[in-house]
Amino acid sequence: MNQKHTPFVPIIVLAFLIAGVLPAFLKLYYLNMMTEIIIFSLYAVSYNLLLGYAGLLSFGHAMFFGLGAFATAVAIIRIPELSLWNAILIGLVMAVVAGFVLGFLMLRHKGAYFALLTLAFNALFYAVATKWHSVTGGDDGLSITRPALDLGITSFSLANLTSFYYLTLVVVGAGMVFCWYFTQTAMGKTVLLMRENEERMKFLGYNTHVARLILFTFSGAVAGLAGSFYALHFQFVSISAISIDMTTAVLLMTFVGGTQKFWGPILGAFVYIILQNYLSDITDRWPLFMGFIFVFMVMFIPGGLSEVITKIQQRLFRKGNGNDDQPVSVEEAIS
Amino acid sequence: MSQIPVFFLHGLAYAGLLFLVSAGLTLVFGMMNVLNFAHAAMYMLGAYFSFSILQRFTGQLWISMIICPILLFILGALVERFLLRRVHKFGHVQELLLTFGLAYIITELVKWYWGNYPLAVNVTGFLNSTIPIFGITYPVYRIFIFLCAVCVGLIMAFILYKTRLGIILRAAVNDSEMANTLGVNVPLVFMGVFAFGAALSGFSGVIAGPLLSTFPGMAQEILIDAFVVIVVGGFGSLGGAIIASLIIGELQSFGVLLFPNLSIALVYLLMAVVLIIKPSGLFGETE
Repeated sequence: MNQKHTPFVPIIVLAFLIAGVLPAFLKLYYLNMMTEIIIFSLYAVSYNLLLGYAGLLSFGHAMFFGLGAFATAVAIIRIPELSLWNAILIGLVMAVVAGFVLGFLMLRHKGAYFALLTLAFNALFYAVATKWHSVTGGDDGLSITRPALDLGITSFSLANLTSFYYLTLVVVGAGMVFCWYFTQTAMGKTVLLMRENEERMKFLGYNTHVARLILFTFSGAVAGLAGSFYALHFQFVSISAISIDMTTAVLLMTFVGGTQKFWGPILGAFVYIILQNYLSDITDRWPLFMGFIFVFMVMFIPGGLSEVITKIQQRLFRKGNGNDDQPVSVEEAIS
Repeated sequence: MSQIPVFFLHGLAYAGLLFLVSAGLTLVFGMMNVLNFAHAAMYMLGAYFSFSILQRFTGQLWISMIICPILLFILGALVERFLLRRVHKFGHVQELLLTFGLAYIITELVKWYWGNYPLAVNVTGFLNSTIPIFGITYPVYRIFIFLCAVCVGLIMAFILYKTRLGIILRAAVNDSEMANTLGVNVPLVFMGVFAFGAALSGFSGVIAGPLLSTFPGMAQEILIDAFVVIVVGGFGSLGGAIIASLIIGELQSFGVLLFPNLSIALVYLLMAVVLIIKPSGLFGETE
């Protein structure tokens, strides 16, 4: 099993190295975009744990993202001298609690019913964020300043973007690696097999409800972490962070990138953020283009860009069996 | 105390509107097992079409009430035939994603064509007047909405339970393969049901325009409320939709009167309570 995944480790190391030297080459504008891409990659990866791995279609992922963002921002504003780690931790804990409680309520249903419930609860979070003006700032949003990074021996100011970029790369990147590790654990595989045949898993003695709840909470927590970094990156949180548009964004990223591969959502986040930056310069109607791209992909390329890439790869290198590097395929999970 | 009848009637009017929207949604879900996220977007489209029609024929709401459902019926039929049917083989997640994408596109198109701001739709004549009822004077239009909902509900119940068409529909739901074997054109039935759902959403959009004014966020607002109606009433249950619409309409109306700060959360609280006590909804079949 471990041997099979060794190719992944060099890829991860390489990705970190490339991302690590980027600030030397990129202009500030692009570095800003790169930070955003890393944060949204984590958000999309957490979403894909639900959609791709567990087959749960959620329309309410922004509630965890927004909760993480708001909890971090409110904590920084309300608690003086709060360290960066504690601010992030507060966001994370809030997302875990929300994920557990809401998961308990919503996971009683599957399929369309679950999708509907997630959308409704996202709307509740949005409504509360809009109306609870004294805490969330309502339509005005919240402005924060990033606290300094305290490493015990020494502390760094995160005022300039490059140092914040490195922090994001390390922490958010570690989050993504941890998500990948999660999918390789027995727990991650249980979820995958449950998607394929839940009856059988129940029969084999697995408690599918608990497994799904753990996955949902984990995915919510990761989205909360992404939200915390979103707040720290922009140093501003508005209610759009918790709105259904933010759910739509992650859905588009994940789906465009492809749900069948672990790296699909990361690719999707790249494409989405870059497209958003370029299209919004050209036209005000870029959401419309994204909508058309999305519907086109749903109809003709349900596997997303990662499927296209994998197919090209297979053509070029004539791999006999296409399951070599599919973290989501069942063949591998049970081998 | 004169407020109570006012708020009661407000609640009834909103309940009527909610029923019109959620009836189409629950019908399509019950028949085709497709949760149509684009339903509310089609409702919005109905409202905007009606706005444009009323600009040409001022005050002639009945023209919109005939034309908009026809336009939406055609749109619904096209969507089912050329989009939904093709992704059907990929499974339910794909169908949901498709309708979600469609809702997104329709909303963006509406913002593009009509602008991202509210447009007022006015009715004239008798519908714009007030009548005395329960010792107060009350706008006719809100009562008209409620009566429309009652009529639509009765017509739907009549078709489903008293006609041959209704028997075919229910047969196609129960066992579509068997119905197909017995000579029922099931794909055609599904196309008709989806198109009828779209027409119904268009009709409710026309009705909603003068009450709530027409704006790009109207789809999302009603969609959430209609979803809550479906959760509370039970999936695919027409009777559940009626009761749940009434409960939620009145709850929203009296919520504003009694707990102004909590009113937005009341509906969700109700939903959470129903989920805990009876996850399948008040009138839903247990899974």
